[in-house]
Amino acid sequence: MITVSLTINKKEYTCEIDPQTTLLELLREHLGLTGTKRGCEIGECGACTVIMDGLTVNSCLVPAFQADGSDITTIEGIASNGKLHPVQEAFLEYDAVHCGFCTPGMVLSAVNLLDNNPQPSQEDIRRALAGNLCRCTGYQQIFDAVQAASKKMKSKR
Amino acid sequence: MNYLRPKNLTELTRTLSDASAATQFVAGGTDVLVESRQPYFSKPQTLIDLSRVDELKSISETNGLIRIGAMATHSEIIAQPLIQRQAPLLAQACAEIGSQQIRNRGTLGGNICNASPCADTVPPLLALDAQVEVLNEQGLRRVAMQEFFVKPYQTVLQKNEVLTAVYFPPLPDGYGSAFYKLGRRKALAISRINMAAVLKTNHHGIIEEVRLAPGSVFPVWKRVAAAERFLTGKKITDQNFMQAGQITAQEMIKISGRRWSTPYKEPVVAALVKRVLLMAAGLEEQ
Repeated sequence: MITVSLTINKKEYTCEIDPQTTLLELLREHLGLTGTKRGCEIGECGACTVIMDGLTVNSCLVPAFQADGSDITTIEGIASNGKLHPVQEAFLEYDAVHCGFCTPGMVLSAVNLLDNNPQPSQEDIRRALAGNLCRCTGYQQIFDAVQAASKKMKSKR
Repeated sequence: MNYLRPKNLTELTRTLSDASAATQFVAGGTDVLVESRQPYFSKPQTLIDLSRVDELKSISETNGLIRIGAMATHSEIIAQPLIQRQAPLLAQACAEIGSQQIRNRGTLGGNICNASPCADTVPPLLALDAQVEVLNEQGLRRVAMQEFFVKPYQTVLQKNEVLTAVYFPPLPDGYGSAFYKLGRRKALAISRINMAAVLKTNHHGIIEEVRLAPGSVFPVWKRVAAAERFLTGKKITDQNFMQAGQITAQEMIKISGRRWSTPYKEPVVAALVKRVLLMAAGLEEQ
């Protein structure tokens, strides 16, 4: 067993884990943070996307020991003080959620995009979300939601 | 299971003395974690985490060579102005790997050592005349990229060796370069075929130097010497580039024989060679 300490959604955690544990398993099985979804487990679907030290990663492909000392944001940390993030609001407004399984990963990729590129082009949005698969929406509603969130966040600044 | 986390090259060298077939090096994890879930995967006794070794992360230029540490991620390479300027074809290749999430974790060293015949960073590095640096208990040595691969998914690395960096000369002024990837879809696709080219022409449009490196074409990575010889001293024309493509396709058939995929690959390889050479020459396809 090894010890891993990390910050998740601004809260500090220390866990004793088997070295083979992934970040995804650490979040879901050890800490009960089940908002992060387990999808393909080969890095193709993006359902397990979280933000690690400012970068999106597939948590199914991150060994938990490499997350030692890191700062993680999961879908549980996106809303603040009970208020949804503009990206989450736009997903609701634009019907960008159908079954919902891809949504946590989509939201994290979108939030990370807007953090780094507040006014993305359609092409930027498509590129940033290319690692997140959705089998329900056909993507257009999702792209529209991200564009709308970008406008909303701009008017607030 | 043992877990080791060396923090510098000295500590890493020390871990190598006990390394065996049951030792698993972990770079970005994007290939090895997928592998580890396969039924045939034998569970390692020791994991060596390379992510904390400082010397493996930096990208720099010294003594006329660009050095990229093996643990530099694809995202870091794409964002590095030195690479954008002096080796744009490598930045292009990294930008077409996987998804944002994969590029943020996957490393150059991991992509090379996984030794997939369709690894996207290998053709650009071959076209850049790169060398890799290998660490074992005796110290560091350099190996030419062309000598590094034994067969698909196998390199010359021994059980107690690890790749630490890649070195190559920056492209001089006047050299064009290009990378082209053919995948089943635009994003997040594994390459069906990929190509890298470096091209130098004089002001009469005569080719002075050309380096052509295709991926997923030969069982072991190599440049296409026959096509390079054909092109040297010739003019940059569609016809000459197409002929170089046909020479490449013939070379593929000579080495691998006619296989189930040959009716598809033969014309496609030829067309892609032409395309990547036109791109390197800064020309549009007619």
